[in-house]
Amino acid sequence: MLCERCKIREANIQYTEVINGVKTEHNFCAQCAKEMDFGPYSAIFDGEFPLAQLLSGLLGSEWPVQKKDRLSQITCPTCGTSYEEFVKNSCFGCADCYTMFDLLIHDNIKQLQGSDSHMGKHPAYQETLSGSKAQAAAVAKEETEQTKSTKEQQIRAWDRKLKEALRTEDYENAAVYRDKIRALREGKEADA
Amino acid sequence: MRQCTGIKSGRCGKGRKPMLKWFEQVQDGGSNIVCSKVRLARNWSEYVFPSKLSDEDSREMLNRLHEGLRDLGDLDGRDYESAYLDELNELDRRALKERRILNASILERKAPMSILITREEDISLVLNGSDHIRIQVWAPGLHLAEALKTADQVDDYVNARFSYAFDDKYGYLTSYPTNVGTGLRATAIVHLPTLSMGKKFPAMLNDMGRIGVSIRGVYGEGRENYGALYEISNQKTMGRTEKELTDLVAKVAAQLDEQEKQIREMGFASHRLEMEDEVYKSYGVLRYARRLSMKDAMTFLSQIMSGIADGLVKLKEPCPVFRLMLGIQTANLQKLSDRPLDKGELDVARAAYLRSELPDLI
Repeated sequence: MLCERCKIREANIQYTEVINGVKTEHNFCAQCAKEMDFGPYSAIFDGEFPLAQLLSGLLGSEWPVQKKDRLSQITCPTCGTSYEEFVKNSCFGCADCYTMFDLLIHDNIKQLQGSDSHMGKHPAYQETLSGSKAQAAAVAKEETEQTKSTKEQQIRAWDRKLKEALRTEDYENAAVYRDKIRALREGKEADA
Repeated sequence: MRQCTGIKSGRCGKGRKPMLKWFEQVQDGGSNIVCSKVRLARNWSEYVFPSKLSDEDSREMLNRLHEGLRDLGDLDGRDYESAYLDELNELDRRALKERRILNASILERKAPMSILITREEDISLVLNGSDHIRIQVWAPGLHLAEALKTADQVDDYVNARFSYAFDDKYGYLTSYPTNVGTGLRATAIVHLPTLSMGKKFPAMLNDMGRIGVSIRGVYGEGRENYGALYEISNQKTMGRTEKELTDLVAKVAAQLDEQEKQIREMGFASHRLEMEDEVYKSYGVLRYARRLSMKDAMTFLSQIMSGIADGLVKLKEPCPVFRLMLGIQTANLQKLSDRPLDKGELDVARAAYLRSELPDLI
């Protein structure tokens, strides 16, 4: 295919322009592309193709800086804590920060705590899974599912208490926990 | 007994039946484990964490928490006092820190905060500190399992009214990643006057990290530790159950107690007279001195503490030495005085306090 502009040289650059949702495709030769104004993308055609830059990016010498910059700009939508701020103060701004920065902090938490999974107590009474303001706006269907899983969580929590009570031979409380589990199970079946 | 009851200065012992605080309750002798503490950090899912919470939202949250926890005393028939921290004067806040109800970072915070506390001061809740709800239970001696049980009950009571920020993977979500998971910090304070003099002691402190506990001196600055009290705590809060974490701290505390006892028993065999002499001399100084610096008072009290544990001396009225150690701290002495004291006057007040509080010997 010949270049649209000079109609002499072979077109080797395909340029797709989307303006107000209308997509148009153009084919230019490298020389014409260089002479044209592509706004912020003009740099691509300035001088040689930035192959060196691309390679160093792939090899990672440039990447960390760029990546770091990008990471530090990640911000929690609920409380406005940026990742940079978190790194500086080692302090989360809200419960949603844990979800927001999960991928970034996972390894650090594992290193700090020697583990990345909670083994202890679960809240006996929990209305929503993590119950944040953001999640409070969840659709009704999700809410039903959450209630269901909350009940399962409660059953699990009581079950743990029951086992602990049996282990310590605290039969009086064990009976109370058993009844609570039974009541929850029956309620669950009624819901279903 | 000159001990302030109530968390506010104005109510210091006036018109109230004196209530024994947890650190005033006498324990069976023989152990070097002074006291135990369990702390749980929790956050209410409806609000962002304290560092991002505006003053207005903080006040709203505190009002709602106070409203919901109004009948907390019904849980165990206990009498809770409550106060907003900005209602308390600087001295009362510092005294609460000396009695280990508030910590340094809470004391520095300027945001609206409040506390709920039993009159015995064994159970306290600090609201809107580093986390929304910080449940703390103190007990004399080594009673971590009991303290955990109490904290657990209070935790369930709070949770029945306020839903917690909790994640299946990370557990209880806290402001600092060092508390996430169980949110639990179990602590035992142990008196190690002889063990800590050993050459290998600093190396042993460093090794503690490997088994997941940290240990540090309670009083004194830099490398000095007046009174030879050491605080043992779990380093990690995730990946183990609450019981495993408290058991670990209890086990380490019991082991250090045992080692301390063994060394002291070995000393008895060859140096009983010298050890007795040290204890009686210390008693003499505390009983008759007219001026006592913090360092001296703590050092001599430490001698009395081990003397009582070893059965070398016996006080006529039972009196936990740790109570005296808390009593001679600056803010408490200032509270007992009706005017501000400078450093020299504090030393005089400290000696006067000990002269009146230290019981006779049998």
